[in-house]
Amino acid sequence: MKKKGLYLLLLPGVLFLTLFMIIPIVMTIASTFFHEGSFTVEGYLKFLTDPYFIKILLTTLQVSLVTTIVCILLGFPAAYYISKLGARKKGILLALAIFPLLTSSVVRSFSWMIILGKKGLLNSSLISIGLIEKPLEILYTPTAMMIGLIHLFLPLIIITLVGVMENIDPDLIKAAESLGASKFTAFRKVIVPLSVPGLIIGSILVFVGSLTAYTTPALLGGKQRVISTFLYQNAITLNDWYMASVIATIMIVITFVVIFLMNKLATKLNPKG
Amino acid sequence: MKKWLTGVLSFSMISMALAGCGSSEQPKDNAAGGAAKGEPQKLVISTWGFSEDFFRKEVYEPFEKEHNVKIVLEIGNNAERLNKIRQGSSDVDLIYLSDYYAQQGIESGAFEKIDRSRIPNLSEIYDIAKAPLGEDYGPAYTIGQFGIAYNPNVIKTEIKSWKDLWSPEVAGKLTLPNITSTTGPMILDAASQVAGSKEFNEDQAFAKMKEANKGVVKYYDKTSEYVNMFSQEEIAAGPIMEMYFKDIQAAVPEAKFVTPEEGGYAVMNTVNIVKGSKNKELAEDFINWQLSKGVQEKTAKAKVDSPVNTGVKLTDEEAKGVTYGEETIKKLHKLDMKFVNEHSKAWIDRWNREITQ
Repeated sequence: MKKKGLYLLLLPGVLFLTLFMIIPIVMTIASTFFHEGSFTVEGYLKFLTDPYFIKILLTTLQVSLVTTIVCILLGFPAAYYISKLGARKKGILLALAIFPLLTSSVVRSFSWMIILGKKGLLNSSLISIGLIEKPLEILYTPTAMMIGLIHLFLPLIIITLVGVMENIDPDLIKAAESLGASKFTAFRKVIVPLSVPGLIIGSILVFVGSLTAYTTPALLGGKQRVISTFLYQNAITLNDWYMASVIATIMIVITFVVIFLMNKLATKLNPKG
Repeated sequence: MKKWLTGVLSFSMISMALAGCGSSEQPKDNAAGGAAKGEPQKLVISTWGFSEDFFRKEVYEPFEKEHNVKIVLEIGNNAERLNKIRQGSSDVDLIYLSDYYAQQGIESGAFEKIDRSRIPNLSEIYDIAKAPLGEDYGPAYTIGQFGIAYNPNVIKTEIKSWKDLWSPEVAGKLTLPNITSTTGPMILDAASQVAGSKEFNEDQAFAKMKEANKGVVKYYDKTSEYVNMFSQEEIAAGPIMEMYFKDIQAAVPEAKFVTPEEGGYAVMNTVNIVKGSKNKELAEDFINWQLSKGVQEKTAKAKVDSPVNTGVKLTDEEAKGVTYGEETIKKLHKLDMKFVNEHSKAWIDRWNREITQ
C-alpha cells in the first residue's frame, strides 16, 4: 500500500516526458508512414536504396565508432587512476575532467580550428621542430571531426567509469593478488569485468552523442556529410520536413539497435552484471 | 484498483494540459491587437544581425521615435528565419531576405502583397531594385556585387576572371559557396560560363564544378566562415560579396577584390511583409524609411550596405568596397530567381551526389 503511493512521485516526471518527449517522438515516427494522405514506406525505401545516403550513414557510424573506441582507450586508465585517489585529489581531477563540458561546443570547435589549421599551433610547432615540411591537412577532414568529438565526450566516459570503479571493493584486488595474480592479471580479471556496466553506459552516451552531434561536424568537418548535417539541410534549407522526419526515425532506430547490442555485449562480458 | 486510478488521473491531467495549451493563445492575440494609444506598438523585424549596432542607432531608433513603435529583432540566417515563418508560429512583421530565399517565401505564400502607393521612395531607387520578384512583393533595398577576393601573398598570378578559380595555383586554397546559400546558384552559373556555354547549361556546369571540387577546401555556408578561413590562411581565394571585403581586408590588408572580366553577379536583398502581420501599414512605412536617401546614404557611408537610392552620392573614397553607381549596377549579371527556384531542389540533390561526395 505504502509502496504503491510512492509511484505517485513519478507522476510529474512521467507526465513531462510523455508530453514533451514520447508524444512528439511517436508523432514524428508516425508522420513518416503517412505522406500526402496515404500509408507508405517510400521514404525509407528511397533512403535505404540510395548509395549516397548509405555512404553518409556509414561515415557517421565510422566516426562514432572510432570516437567511442578512442574515448574508452583514453578514459579507462584515467578513470582508474582517478578512482584510486583520496577524496580531495579526486575532486580536483574530476572537476578538471568535467571542465570541457562547461564551455559550449561552438567555442571548443573554434579553438580546435586555431590548433589544427594550416597555420595552426600544431602545424607550426611540428614545422619548427623539423618533423614535417608541409603543413598536415587535418582541419576540415573526418579526423578533425573525431578529435573534436573525443574532446567533447571524453568527460562522459570518465565520469561514468569513476562512479563504477569507486565501488569496486579494494579487498577483491588484494584477494586476487594473495592468490597469486600479478597486478596486471588482477586488473584484467577483476577491475575490467566489474567496470563493464560503467563502460557500457559511457560508450552508449559517447556513441549516441557522436551520432547526433551537429555543431562539431558542421564546424570542423569538411566536404563530407554526416547524418545530422544532412538532416539539417533537409529540414532547414530544403524545407522538406517529411524527409527530415524519416532521417530522424532512422537515427532513433540506430540508437536503439546500438543500446541493444551494447547490452548484449555487457551480459557476455559480465554475466552477473 | 490503484493502478486503474493512476491511469485515469494521468489521462485527465494530460487532456487538461492539452486543453490549456489550446485556449491560452486567444488572450495573447487580443493583447497584441489592441495596443493603447500611449503605448508604443511593437514591430518585429527578422534580419541577419550583421552590423546590428549600426542599424539600431541609425535606422531603428529614429523610426521608433517618429512612429512611437518598439522594434524587436529576430536574428538568424536566411534559411532559418524563412523556415520559422513558413511554420506559421512567429509574430514577425517584416523580413529581410536575399532574393533567392524571398522567392521561396513568395512561392510558399508567406508574404503579404505590398501597397506600392504607400511607399513613395520607390520612385527614387534603381529600376532593377523596384520589383525584383514582381510588383506584389517587396523591393531590394541593397544590391551587392558577387565577385572574387584573393590573397596576393599566396596566389602570385593575378586573378581576373571566373576561369582563374580553376587554375592549378588556386587548387587546395579555394573555397566556394555551398549550393544552398544565396550565391551557390551564381557559382553554378559562372561554372557554366567557364565551360564555354553562352546559355546556362546544367550538365556542363556540374562537370566544371566537379573539376573544381578537388581544389576546394570547404564549401562555405556563411560569409563569416569565408572570412575566418581567409584570415587563418586555410584558403587564399574564393568568390564573395563585395560588402564583406572590408572584413577580409581587416584580417589580410593586402587582399584584393576583383570584378571578374565576365562581370560579377547581383545579390539583391529584399524586404517583405509577412503574411498575417497586424502592422502592415507600419511595416510599409518602415520599408519606405529603409529606401529613403538619408538611411541609404548612412548605410553606404558606413560600408554596411550598398545603396539603391539614386540620390545617394559618394566620393571615390566613400565608394570603396561599396557596389555603387548606375554603371556598375548595370553590368552585374542577374539570375532569374524563378528559374533558380524551380531547379534548386534538383541542383542541391545533384550537388550532394556528384560534387560533395
